[in-house]
Amino acid sequence: MVRIEHKRALLVVRIGDKKFEWPIETRYWRNPLLGIVCLALLPIVFSGQPDLISLFATANIYACIAIPLGWQMTGIGRLNFGPQFFVGIGGYTAALISVHFGWGPWETLPVAVCAGLVFGVMFSPLTTIAKGLYFSLVTLILPLIFLEVTYYFRVFQGETGLYGITPLVMVDNIKTEYLITGFLSLLMLIIFLFVVHKVLTSRIGLFAAAINDDEEVANNLGLNIKRWKILCFVATSVMISVTGWFAAHYFGTFAGVTYLQLPFMLKILLMVMIGGRGDIYGAIYGAYFVVILEKLLTVFGTVHYILFPLILMILLFTLPEGLYGIYRRHRYREYYPTIRVRKR
Amino acid sequence: MLLQLKGISKRFGGLIAVNDVSFSIGEGEIVGLIGPNGAGKTTLMNLISGSLKPDAGTIGFNGHTISGEEPHRICRRGISRTYQIPRPFPDMTTLLNVSVGVFCGKKRSHMSLGDAMLDASHCLEFVGLFGKRNMLARDLSLFELRALELARALATTPRLILIDEVMAGLNQAESRRAIRLIRKVVEEYHVTIVWIEHVMKIIMEATQRVEVLHYGEIIASGSPHAVINDSQVVEAYLGEKIA
Repeated sequence: MVRIEHKRALLVVRIGDKKFEWPIETRYWRNPLLGIVCLALLPIVFSGQPDLISLFATANIYACIAIPLGWQMTGIGRLNFGPQFFVGIGGYTAALISVHFGWGPWETLPVAVCAGLVFGVMFSPLTTIAKGLYFSLVTLILPLIFLEVTYYFRVFQGETGLYGITPLVMVDNIKTEYLITGFLSLLMLIIFLFVVHKVLTSRIGLFAAAINDDEEVANNLGLNIKRWKILCFVATSVMISVTGWFAAHYFGTFAGVTYLQLPFMLKILLMVMIGGRGDIYGAIYGAYFVVILEKLLTVFGTVHYILFPLILMILLFTLPEGLYGIYRRHRYREYYPTIRVRKR
Repeated sequence: MLLQLKGISKRFGGLIAVNDVSFSIGEGEIVGLIGPNGAGKTTLMNLISGSLKPDAGTIGFNGHTISGEEPHRICRRGISRTYQIPRPFPDMTTLLNVSVGVFCGKKRSHMSLGDAMLDASHCLEFVGLFGKRNMLARDLSLFELRALELARALATTPRLILIDEVMAGLNQAESRRAIRLIRKVVEEYHVTIVWIEHVMKIIMEATQRVEVLHYGEIIASGSPHAVINDSQVVEAYLGEKIA
């Protein structure tokens, strides 16, 4: 039996014997439920404009890369310059299976998760072995190596990429299809946000914060930093692989040139930094900001390839704590991760 | 004996930081570790806590050999430490700083974050920082940082605390408060303390036994009064006899 109760600033859901509590944030500007409702209204408002719904879904996909990345950078205390490597893992896994075996998206999903898990475990020792800047350098190179692999082996179809991937949903009306997939992207965002929020407000989040601030002291306090770094890296890699899976089935095509090159990495890192340096809610602001800015700048023609990174770099200097930092000045006591460039 | 060091040596390239150091510490003792700058005191503390691995010798704690173990395992066995230059988690509040120690010091897999913060509150109240529990660690004064380090060490429920120059940078009033706090820790928590200190007055008052390190070797060992009268110690460290 399911019962829902509302007690002042608390929403209580009782399912059988279990009780779940959800505090209701009374300050409207930081109420996640209100934010989700606003986002959910966007596809309905723009239902007659598939290009805007596509923009909405793209922003959600980018946010779904930035949210686990924010957790990862805090949890391992290192900057990952190659999160798109796992986007490629999930995307190519889904694309190859869908194109060659005709599997649908819900059949390729567990395979993409497994691929993310296997490669996450394979590369997780980097979090403990690679010291200082070496982790960042290795993660920078990984997607570029993957890109070269896609050029070398014909199965990946090189620059053209794989096309004809089974879409997420198939309905007769194209506008309805865009609407449903837009909502599916929002659902994925909400799930990622919920999972990462729950993790970061638990003991695991405390461990991640301790590792980010001073891992040697955390180790001396009894925290097994190797175990928690590896767990964090693997979990976030799986999440990013799922985003790659979604992107492949959403766009119907997947090519390494789109996702594995440095400009895409730049976009993701800037979303994380501009949104708020590893803050998960700020990552959503950052994703929408970057996607909308990129779209607006296309009116200037090809010069937007120069303008876009230039504007983002200027914002990085003028807003050192990102857009979310403007709000964060009023909430000084909340934990706010410092992205450190470690020498060791 | 709670802690036993046998033939501990550590070198960094050509520099021998600790050379064949052996001593034992019984349960409930407060042992001072003194020596001039560069004697190897902090290196010895790092070896005991597991931050560094000894090149030779063994360290035994409560019947187990801990030399070569990971620092988090040594902490779980019951050894905690403070730092010469305070190292809080700067972006976390005082309460969360101590909560890390509560969670990690012992295996507490079923403890919630709320329970850990409650335990941490007790530790903060003990050291007098409860009123600053929501303050970011980077905003604390030096004395408060030292108290925070002590609270964080106590939160791990240790049997042995390694205290590294807790008086450095404190004025007279703060030093007296620090000594009272450490005495309170010993009385209420029944912990053993190894205390690195340069302030001889504190060593004379607070410790029961003193080990003197010079160029990585133990040159004297005994009661504080016996040590300060030892000619080798006088020559190496104290300069002139203290009456």
